[in-house]
Amino acid sequence: MIPLTHFLVVGACLFAIGLYAVLARRNAILVLVGIELMINAAILNLVAFGRYDKTMYGGQVFALFAIVLAAAAVAVALAIILNVYKFYRSVNPEDIKNLKD
Amino acid sequence: MNPHLLTILVFMPLAAALLMSFIPATQKTLYKYVALLTGLLQLILSGGMYYLFQPNGAGVTEAHLYQFVDHIPWIRLDMGSLGQLEIDYFVGVDGLSMPFLFLTALVMVVAIGASWNIQKSVKGYFILLMILNMAVMGVFAALDFFLFYIFYELMLLPLYFLIGIWGGARREYAAIKFFLYTLFGSVFMLLVIVGLYFSVTNPETGAHTFNMLHMMNPANYVPNALFSVAAGHELIGISARLLGFIVLFVAFAIKVPIVPLHTWLPDAHVEAPTPISIILAGILLKVGGYGILRICFSIFPDAAEQSAWWLGLIGVVSIVYGALVALAQRDLKRMIAYSSVSHMGFVLLGVASLTTEGTAGAIFQMMSHGFLSAALFFLVGMLYDRVHDRNIYHFRGLAGIMPRFTVFVAITFFASLGLPGFSAFIGEVFVIIGAFNAETVNGILPRWMAIAGSLGILLSAAYFLWTLQRMFFGQPRLKGGEEWTKSLVDASPRETLIMVPMLGLALALGVYPALAFDKINASVLALVELVVTN
Amino acid sequence: MPTTALTYPLLAALSAVLLPFIGFLLSAALGKHARNGAISISAISLSLLAACYAFAQVWNQAPVHIQWHWFTIGEQAFHVGLLLDNMAVLMLVLVCVIALPVHIYSAAYMKGDPGIHRYWTYLSLFCFAMLGLVVADNLLLMYICWELVGFASYLLIGFWFTRDSAVQANKKAFIVNRIGDIGFLIGIGIVYSHLGTLDTGTLISTPETLPAPWLTVAGLAFFLGAMAKSAQFPLHVWLPDAMEGPTSVSSLIHAATMVAAGVFLLARLFPVFNETVLLVIATTGAVTAFVAAYFALTQYDIKKILAFSTISQLGFMMVGIGIGMYPVALFHLVTHAFFKCLLFLCAGAIIHEMQHVKETHALDIDPQDIRNMGGLRKHMPLTFATMLIASLALAGFPFTGGYLSKDALLVHTFEWAALQSGAAKLIPYVLVIVSMLTSFYILRLLANVFFGSLSNPLAKNKTHIHEAPMTMLIPMLFLAACSLFPLFSVNPLNDGHVWLMQGLTTTVSTLPPLPLLHLVIPLLTTGATCMVAILAWHWYVNGKYPLKTNGLLYRLSQHQGYLDVLYNVAIVRPIFRLSHLLLWVDYHVVDGTVNGLAALGRSLAATAAWIDQRLVDGLVRLVGKIAWGLGHIFRRLQTGGVQRYFATLFLVILVILLYHIVVLL
Repeated sequence: MIPLTHFLVVGACLFAIGLYAVLARRNAILVLVGIELMINAAILNLVAFGRYDKTMYGGQVFALFAIVLAAAAVAVALAIILNVYKFYRSVNPEDIKNLKD
Repeated sequence: MNPHLLTILVFMPLAAALLMSFIPATQKTLYKYVALLTGLLQLILSGGMYYLFQPNGAGVTEAHLYQFVDHIPWIRLDMGSLGQLEIDYFVGVDGLSMPFLFLTALVMVVAIGASWNIQKSVKGYFILLMILNMAVMGVFAALDFFLFYIFYELMLLPLYFLIGIWGGARREYAAIKFFLYTLFGSVFMLLVIVGLYFSVTNPETGAHTFNMLHMMNPANYVPNALFSVAAGHELIGISARLLGFIVLFVAFAIKVPIVPLHTWLPDAHVEAPTPISIILAGILLKVGGYGILRICFSIFPDAAEQSAWWLGLIGVVSIVYGALVALAQRDLKRMIAYSSVSHMGFVLLGVASLTTEGTAGAIFQMMSHGFLSAALFFLVGMLYDRVHDRNIYHFRGLAGIMPRFTVFVAITFFASLGLPGFSAFIGEVFVIIGAFNAETVNGILPRWMAIAGSLGILLSAAYFLWTLQRMFFGQPRLKGGEEWTKSLVDASPRETLIMVPMLGLALALGVYPALAFDKINASVLALVELVVTN
Repeated sequence: MPTTALTYPLLAALSAVLLPFIGFLLSAALGKHARNGAISISAISLSLLAACYAFAQVWNQAPVHIQWHWFTIGEQAFHVGLLLDNMAVLMLVLVCVIALPVHIYSAAYMKGDPGIHRYWTYLSLFCFAMLGLVVADNLLLMYICWELVGFASYLLIGFWFTRDSAVQANKKAFIVNRIGDIGFLIGIGIVYSHLGTLDTGTLISTPETLPAPWLTVAGLAFFLGAMAKSAQFPLHVWLPDAMEGPTSVSSLIHAATMVAAGVFLLARLFPVFNETVLLVIATTGAVTAFVAAYFALTQYDIKKILAFSTISQLGFMMVGIGIGMYPVALFHLVTHAFFKCLLFLCAGAIIHEMQHVKETHALDIDPQDIRNMGGLRKHMPLTFATMLIASLALAGFPFTGGYLSKDALLVHTFEWAALQSGAAKLIPYVLVIVSMLTSFYILRLLANVFFGSLSNPLAKNKTHIHEAPMTMLIPMLFLAACSLFPLFSVNPLNDGHVWLMQGLTTTVSTLPPLPLLHLVIPLLTTGATCMVAILAWHWYVNGKYPLKTNGLLYRLSQHQGYLDVLYNVAIVRPIFRLSHLLLWVDYHVVDGTVNGLAALGRSLAATAAWIDQRLVDGLVRLVGKIAWGLGHIFRRLQTGGVQRYFATLFLVILVILLYHIVVLL
């Protein structure tokens, strides 16, 4: 039996990689990938903790729910990125600073 | 007899002012004719009233002895726990006010005559003059304290503008000084009015009242009220009634004016245009004296008797101080202004003596000063109109250049310094006699005050004759040279027409003082008795 | 008791008073159209007739008194009325008798003056007031006339108003008289407050109603009035200056009538004065008589000499009042009125002539200076004769009216002094000395004017000096006749037979007579007069003048005791200084306080405005400022970069987590 810690470590690694991608990548798509990674890290944690709910499988249910949500979010996000690209001719988040004060 | 004569007299100028407001501003000459007509009608009306006035009706405290009375409830307001607010339109005339109504009408005519050459915004000027006229008439007629106060304050407004707009170089300073000074007095007066209101009830309705005549009767005071005679309340260590008296006295004394509350007067007189100087000296100063008699003495007779000594002292100081300062003046108008201070000091001295001679003399002196100071200011105005200078040292030997004018000046000066045959003589002599008599009759004034007061007669001779000598006699020598000689034309027919009746009246009153004394005697007796027997 | 029925004597007296008043009104109304004085002259002539009729009816008869209600003050009625008794009718006639010649004289004297119509107007006004004064029955009316004569005198002194000295003189006269008027007024005040009436009759019949101290004060007050009007030392200073008026005016007003009004007042109110006051009056009179005679000794202006002489003689009259013999005082008043009026008219004739000479030869001389005159006796014999008579009357030479009155006065003063103690005993001796001084100065005047020869500038020009015209001479001759004894007494040497005094003496307590004096005094004075005359002749006509003109006593006399300087320094200038001080006080202290209060108000308002702007509003703005500053700091976070937002978000979450970990652990 793989202990919980391993799951959490993998989850944390995934989260850290995702976070890095979100903060450091110069391509919005990859930032989106980073977000997906972070969501997956969370899902992994949900599944891992789901082990302790053998009656309702709440963790797994939530994981499924989150996967669906993530898929929906990606669709929307990709649409936004597409539009951003159309507008700015760039998907580099550094170039999109219209929200600056 | 038409019972509304007095109301008509008071509000006639208001009607004229309304009429004027509809006359287009291009019709410049029409305003003065409307004003003159109003003035003359008022003069005739007040003269008729003076003639019809029954001299045996004393008035003073007795409502039924007043004449030409109009008494209409005006404001009735239920104020809940404070009771019913009762303000009346209550006007009437007794021996104290009758002479002043006539004086006002006369001086107004003179002032309108002196305004003939006003060029600057004629419409506004004459409308303001008419409002002023109404307010002054109202002050002398009002018997309701609230009404009195309204008229009293209403006088200030037109005067402020008349001095501030049509005045001389420092007109704004003078107008503001005059306004604030007078307001200072009347604001505190308002406090006393309110205090009196809450102290006095109308015996018929039981409500608090502003009726002055009710205020004069100690029985109408609410027991234990602030100003009740019986309760004898004290405020900051002095009797409340005395304090009330002092506050009212200061309000009126500023008008009189007394030394040291007189400094608004020289500025206001000097800066005001000639007609306004005439009105100021001729009528407004009398409002002060009238107020002291009608209100201070009648409502607070006990306090009046207590403070008579001080009043006499103030009178004497004003007489001597005013005369001495007049002696040092170089500006003719300022000299006359200070001579007014001196002459009005006699009024205070006479009133303070609490004798019939002194009080009647004081009222007579006010009448006389009304004519004579108006004449004096008019004469100064004549000179100023011609060369725009009033400095005594800039003129010399005017008698050779303007003989008729010099005759007028000499007569007016001599009349003012108390030459027998003119009214000022009777006024001053009886004030002095009354002040002497006080020690025998009621022991209020010591005789040295009368003697010191008579010094004023000496000093007035000094400053008037000195001025006469410096300006009118000697070889002609003018500061402005030939140019002045050309512009100094002798008195015009209009000016003569104005001067003659005034000097004529001063002469008539001086030769036959009964013209005035007969009308005021009964009231003076009643007033003196009210104060002394209190 | 006063009547209300206008009997003939009253009517006559009333018309005597009112006629000049009508003359005054007419002249004033006609102005330049009435230049010849016909109105005034006829008015005063009719007055004289009426006065004579009143005199004939009333003299030595019961007094007549009429009064009319004038006005009422309170319950006190005041009246106007006439009181005709011996004193009043005597004065009434005297004033008219003097005034008429002066009027006639003036017609010639003032001829050609551009302002002559004013002259007549003023003169009539004066006559009215003066006549009113003598018949007035109450103090108020007397006071009114008293002031009016002063006013007329003011107008006439300043008649030539373009001359500075004239207008200064009339101002001085009026103001000095005002000092006296105040005394009169104070007297009136005291009498009224104790007696309740101003009726002269009531006052003199019951003077004891006044409490003793006030009686003294009232007496002194009335005397103050008389002092100013009758030019008593030290209030005499106005009279020498009053000589600026036309000489005819000086003769009527400032020699014969108005200045005697003070004496008349004191005689009229005689019972009011108690011992103390009488002593004061006598002393003042004696001092005045002496001082004025002393000043007269060295004057060069002919009118000034006569003016001081008048003052000196008025001092005599005051002594007459002071010793309680007011009939004697009035007698001297009457004789003095004639001869002094005459002296002035003569002086006027001379001045008129000198002025004429001055103008025709365009000389630069003072026509009034006696040093320029001399030897006029030959040119103006009639003037000389009349002036000689007047001078002898003044010196108290026998056969003149002056002799009778002065003799009576001196004798009575000696009688009075016999009853006195202390310094009062000196008074008669002072008067004797003054009599000698009087003789000296008047003879000095005569010697200088009529004897010797004309002064150089005049003699060189071969001037023709003529006698005065008849219209001037006739009044002078008339007055000269009146200055002699027959008008007053059949016995030229004994004053016991003077009808005038007999008519007045009835009410006066007589002094114990000293018969010897009636012999000694006349001899003494006449002898002294002769000796002094010889001395004056020797000094002035023979040119043996022995005195140095720069001695202290001489200068003191010449400059009239430096009284004008003294008054100027001690009274006038301090009053001016006081008035300027008060003006300063008024501007800087009284008005300064007002303006200071205004400034205080303004500065309070400014302070409030400052507080309002800086503190109250400042707090509000501080809040805004803080918010703004914070915002400024935080805006830096707003970079627009999504990733930075993320970074910040994570950092914050991290910090919160760390915080929780730290706190929870």
